[in-house]
Amino acid sequence: MRAGAVLVVMLAAAVHVAGQGRVDDAALLNPAPDSWPMYNGDYSGRRFSALSTIDSGNVTSLSLGWTHRIAASGPAGGGGASAAIIKGTPVVANGVLYVTIPDHVWALDARTGRELWHATWPSRGGWHIGNRGVAVLGTTVYVETPDCHLLALDDRTGQEKWRTEICDLDQFYYASAAPLIVKNHVIVGVSGDDLDIPGYLEAHDPETGTRQWRWYTHPDPGTPEAATWPSAEAMLHGGGMTWGSATYDPELNLIYFGTGNPQPVINGRQRRGDNLYTGSIIALNPDTGRLAWYFQSSPHDTHDWDSTQTPVLFDGTIDGRPRKLLAQAARNGWFFVLDRQTGRSVVSTEYVKTNWARGVDPNGRPVPNPQKEPQADGALVSPNQGGAQNWPPPAFSPQTGLFYVNATRAFSVYYLYEDENDEKPQGWGGNDRGGWSEAMLLALDVHTGKARWQFKWDGSATTRSGLLATAGNLLFAGDGAGNFVAFDAARGQPLWRAGLHASLTNGPITYQLDGIQYVVVAANDTLYAFASPRR
Amino acid sequence: MHALRLLCLGAITLLLPVTALAQGGPTDRPPLDQAAALRGKRLYAEHCINCHGSTAKGGPNGPDLIRSSVVLRDRLGSGIGPAMRATPVSHPAALTAEQILDLSHFLRERIEAVARNRTPRGPINVLTGNPEAGRVYFNAAGRCHTCHSPSGDFKGLRARISDALTLQQRFLFPTLTRSDKQVEVTVTPASGPAVSGRLMRIDNFSVSLRGADGEYRSFSRVPGVAVVVHDPLAVHHELLDEYTDEVIHDVVAYLWTLE
Repeated sequence: MRAGAVLVVMLAAAVHVAGQGRVDDAALLNPAPDSWPMYNGDYSGRRFSALSTIDSGNVTSLSLGWTHRIAASGPAGGGGASAAIIKGTPVVANGVLYVTIPDHVWALDARTGRELWHATWPSRGGWHIGNRGVAVLGTTVYVETPDCHLLALDDRTGQEKWRTEICDLDQFYYASAAPLIVKNHVIVGVSGDDLDIPGYLEAHDPETGTRQWRWYTHPDPGTPEAATWPSAEAMLHGGGMTWGSATYDPELNLIYFGTGNPQPVINGRQRRGDNLYTGSIIALNPDTGRLAWYFQSSPHDTHDWDSTQTPVLFDGTIDGRPRKLLAQAARNGWFFVLDRQTGRSVVSTEYVKTNWARGVDPNGRPVPNPQKEPQADGALVSPNQGGAQNWPPPAFSPQTGLFYVNATRAFSVYYLYEDENDEKPQGWGGNDRGGWSEAMLLALDVHTGKARWQFKWDGSATTRSGLLATAGNLLFAGDGAGNFVAFDAARGQPLWRAGLHASLTNGPITYQLDGIQYVVVAANDTLYAFASPRR
Repeated sequence: MHALRLLCLGAITLLLPVTALAQGGPTDRPPLDQAAALRGKRLYAEHCINCHGSTAKGGPNGPDLIRSSVVLRDRLGSGIGPAMRATPVSHPAALTAEQILDLSHFLRERIEAVARNRTPRGPINVLTGNPEAGRVYFNAAGRCHTCHSPSGDFKGLRARISDALTLQQRFLFPTLTRSDKQVEVTVTPASGPAVSGRLMRIDNFSVSLRGADGEYRSFSRVPGVAVVVHDPLAVHHELLDEYTDEVIHDVVAYLWTLE
């Protein structure tokens, strides 16, 4: 029996919400104010909304519009987190809000939070650590599943249109990323670091699911980049997963994304070298999957520091010349600004204090200190495995010119599990343990990487809140103590707060319907929609 | 060759059995039969080890079986049996279906061992430092002696800590759970006297405490309200930027001598 045949669809109401039109190519290129049509809101990854009904002068008038608690006992199967925690960013299109956890998609009325349908399906396994959300195009909703499938659902009912396998569950891959629609491509990434498997990004036909191209995150054997591995076998089993979010520049026709850590994860002694293209920012042609350029932000990582954090696109002036730029606040604690046409470094600097790098090379890459690789008797390292940043998305405001990141400064001890009888370490081969950390919201000057302002989160060891900037000079952020806060984006002063039942677990979004601007966030299993007075 | 085989068998005998299963991967894999895996290990040592290596990760004449898609897709011999029969020159032994099943369980156990090796499979030895150097650091550069002493709060320290790894972790990342100390806070409202007590909770918008009289009090952190926190562990957090790994290992070696 096809799994799709037992798709459970619960239609709370066969209601088609009167909307403003479905998502097409033009809507993705220029998102309407009544929508949040993709993971990052638009292709730039800035998470900046032009809406200003709510602004720094009236934000105290925000009130609770609706809440919605997802009715699920948890993911349907497999390993990882068992609780129903919303770690994805909702997508809003045609008056409908789509929210996910692994193995579940809900469609809600974006005005009321009322459930329209809920789709779930049996799982064959895979890590159920989180799902980042859906992509929408036309009448189809796309979602990845932990058991390695890309599903296409009917946006009116949640009924499955088709499914296609995007990775091999038997090799311990799994899928958690939010797909990205670029023209006639559904671009998907994959996850998995239990065994030593290669990462890749691939594109599928939106109508049929047929695979169009696959780009592996390792060089072709025999190329100069392949010499960054000791052997072809190490390279072809070298990790570099693609579970972060991709961004897109239509003018350059390039997509940008970060790659994960190399494998074996902690024990890197049998993969000496830089290990390209792991821990890198990558630019690909979305039509062919061909590499345009790469920039490695974490050479020879041994700390599980993926570089999958959002590559945020914006334009700026450097040395008096207008430039198309890209910035990433990486998990390893470093902030990078690149020329996104060439991949050349503009700024490379720490955004929190770290202790693992000896400096920066002429190409702008941090130089790892070998003494801070995991050791048999422990090495004190900062940041810890969770990183100075992780999957919660950052934001950039073209109004302030500031890059915002919810950062953690953390220490832990990395141990290498040596086994003299095992000449070929695989899997992890070590881990970190313990630690101390503190969390802070940073507003980075993109010309220097230095903080224009910072706000230390008192009482929060870390935070898993993403960020949202708006044209109302607002920055929305959460701490680790259940506070959802609106800041003056330019000056960093908190202007409004709401105490939620738990800390934020995703990135805030905003959209405007019927003259009411909504700001929606998730805390564990509950969505909160805050609403402005009607304009 | 036989000697090599015995040597390698000794090596794989050292591998600890895997009892818990990895959380990733497919859920349709049959349960792991430890007795069958043990029988499979003996079969592996007899028939497979020379080519596929002592840890099944490959050798000069045979591929890595942990990374083999045939093995990863195998269910109770469904993959490895046909694969071996299809290559009789390199797999000359005529294994029975039961033996192939046992081999399947053994290889499954090896895969599980790799998939779970983010968890240590043996003790971690952190006693690699110089105790005397650690004592000197304790009493000089580290300023540890200004708060702690071997004859005071650290008397009998080793007997109170289960192992040196735990000692290393507590040295670097201490908590107050076993201490008579506490985080103190003093809140001075816009009007009225300052209030002090044990910090219960703090964020940027509120603070709460329990006073010496046992009363719980909370305050909004609005303009005009001053909050001063005294955390006895703050100095430890600052030291994280100063410690070298050599110092860490020396201090742990010294503290472990405090019988």
